[in-house]
Amino acid sequence: MIVDQLRELCARLLSEGTAQVVIGYGQAAPGKPAYPVFIRRAEDADQLVWNDQCMTNLAATLKRREVKALGKPAVIVKGCDERALIMLAKESQIVRANIYVIGVECNGAGRPAMAKCASCDVHVPRWTDTVIRETESQAAAVRTTPSSARYADLEAFMRKTPEARLAFWRAEFGRCVKCYACRQVCPLCYCERCIADKNRPCVIDTSATPKGNFAWHITRAFHLAARCAGCDECARACPAHIDLRLLNLALAAAAEDHFGWRAGMDPEAEPPAGAYSLKDKEDFIG
Amino acid sequence: MSEIITHAELRRLMDDWIARGGEVIGPAAVKPDLVQYARLESAGLMLSGYIHPANSIKEFFFPRSEILYRYKFTGKKIELSDVVNDPVKPMLIMGARPCDASMLPILDRVFNWDYKDNFYDKRRDAATVVTMACTEHDDACFCTSVGCGPAAEQGSDALLIRLGEDAFEVRCLTGKGRALFQGKTQPGERTAEIPPGPPLKFDADFVRKFTRDNFDNPIWGELTLRCAGCAACAYTCPTCHCFDIVDEGNAYGGARVKNWDCCQFSMFTQHASGHNPRSAQGQRQRQRLSHKFAIYPDKFGEILCTGCGNCGRICPVGLGVLTVLEEISNATPSLESVEPV
Ligand code: SF4
Ligand code: SF4
Ligand code: SF4
Ligand code: SF4
Ligand code: SF4
Repeated sequence: MIVDQLRELCARLLSEGTAQVVIGYGQAAPGKPAYPVFIRRAEDADQLVWNDQCMTNLAATLKRREVKALGKPAVIVKGCDERALIMLAKESQIVRANIYVIGVECNGAGRPAMAKCASCDVHVPRWTDTVIRETESQAAAVRTTPSSARYADLEAFMRKTPEARLAFWRAEFGRCVKCYACRQVCPLCYCERCIADKNRPCVIDTSATPKGNFAWHITRAFHLAARCAGCDECARACPAHIDLRLLNLALAAAAEDHFGWRAGMDPEAEPPAGAYSLKDKEDFIG
Repeated sequence: MSEIITHAELRRLMDDWIARGGEVIGPAAVKPDLVQYARLESAGLMLSGYIHPANSIKEFFFPRSEILYRYKFTGKKIELSDVVNDPVKPMLIMGARPCDASMLPILDRVFNWDYKDNFYDKRRDAATVVTMACTEHDDACFCTSVGCGPAAEQGSDALLIRLGEDAFEVRCLTGKGRALFQGKTQPGERTAEIPPGPPLKFDADFVRKFTRDNFDNPIWGELTLRCAGCAACAYTCPTCHCFDIVDEGNAYGGARVKNWDCCQFSMFTQHASGHNPRSAQGQRQRQRLSHKFAIYPDKFGEILCTGCGNCGRICPVGLGVLTVLEEISNATPSLESVEPV
């Protein structure tokens, strides 16, 4: 059982002093969404769970000062969460060597599984310090998915008329209350002072009005362009069920189309917005 | 003897309200998987099979964003224009949960105890609120622990209680309620049964005392370590009422607006000097719970929470008021063993 291995490893890391805190999943009751737990004593390792409710991207907890204060972390990641971790390292937000990363093979999170899982090609994390898997035979099955599967929802949406698309976003953004849950749960939204919180002068209207909401959503999406790891945590956190996934997909598709880039897929690759290349497109400069 | 209204008659009453130029607000499936209180185009079908909408009726009284006045610069002159007297439409809130309507007397006090907030009051005056007794509850509900319940009457002008498949018993509680249902109900022999509410989950008096006596207790930080610091709980809460006042405009003019704000944001208490008296999430969580269970009760005698459970249902990390209070209630005997965070 994965969970037994996780608990054993957690207890060992803490008692050996490899980590001071193990960031994993806890759960109030079976079938309820799991949430982050911060285990600091080996004897608490049995609080950890592992099941299809482990949707949270725990990489997002690393940015929080309350969590940094706990000491050297070990963190449990699924394949999609690992992509965020790779981006955080690329953007110098974490020092990879100072974090012990526990990868867990994942065959889908959520019940029914989250939309992203249908086209997942990172079921087994690849660059973790250790990886815990169901069985060795499953390990052999490397699954790849065509990009058409990744962007199917986007492509269906883009077949609508521009008017229909605008009407859709008006209705979606119309429900936004500016609670910033989408930002707070995002591993890559780590700015200490978000541009949405700048008030001297105010850059983005704080009002949850059509103008203020379009400004917020376009800014959020653009700030995550070619950085978003596609964990869909923002969409899951939104109390108004705004389809943030669709917005993120549009930018991910653009990054893949124009730069052959998928965020966090390869720790060696340089991010398009963070590296200069002579081959960079400049045909948009008139 | 009871007063009874059929579903068909109730829908007619709502459609008439709209036809006369009023607004009707009720629970609606705004997306296939999302029930929210929303403005209804027509009475449509009464929703059933949901526990609590994913928002509250708060925003129809205290909107997320509201213009207080507009300003215009012409040369060195500033011209102000008032909006407080702009008319509001008569508003019928239909099918509110009792834990939502209960927020109204709570907010009435906040918006009237010293300064009279005309913006809130004009909407309140224009509203008739019809509640519907809950027949079901989930494990996030805890109305009974905070003096509310599945058929609580606070804030309601008329209470509907399900009576069989196609009717409600109507209990008119105020003049507004009586005016609304005047001539629309029939006398009936049957009376509806008040459904049982959720079991008691914590002792609110204990919580009040605990929050007063434990300002510096590390348990706040410990129990809320996973909190992401958003406002999903506060903005879907019927009783949270913090706001911020900002000017939004350009070199030519703009508006002074009153927008929702939330004590869980680190910016909420950030001083211009850089100092933040609530610099850690645990302190911010302590604030939210103290305000609800000690500060507001000390000032106004009631708890600033109706037990609707939205905070628990909606929190992205499953951390509602109930989770924390249950843990505090359970953990108290062994508090000494909690390590500081
Ligand atoms: S995208 Fe892949 S790794 Fe991520 S939760 Fe779904 S199946 Fe698991
Ligand atoms: S989580 Fe949803 S409602 Fe909250 S700010 Fe983000 S998009 Fe808006
Ligand atoms: S924007 Fe959303 S999907 Fe992308 S990394 Fe952030 S939380 Fe995940
Ligand atoms: S604190 Fe939670 S349970 Fe209480 S009224 Fe607000 S949302 Fe409802
Ligand atoms: S308790 Fe939950 S909803 Fe409230 S601020 Fe924390 S993470 Fe957000």
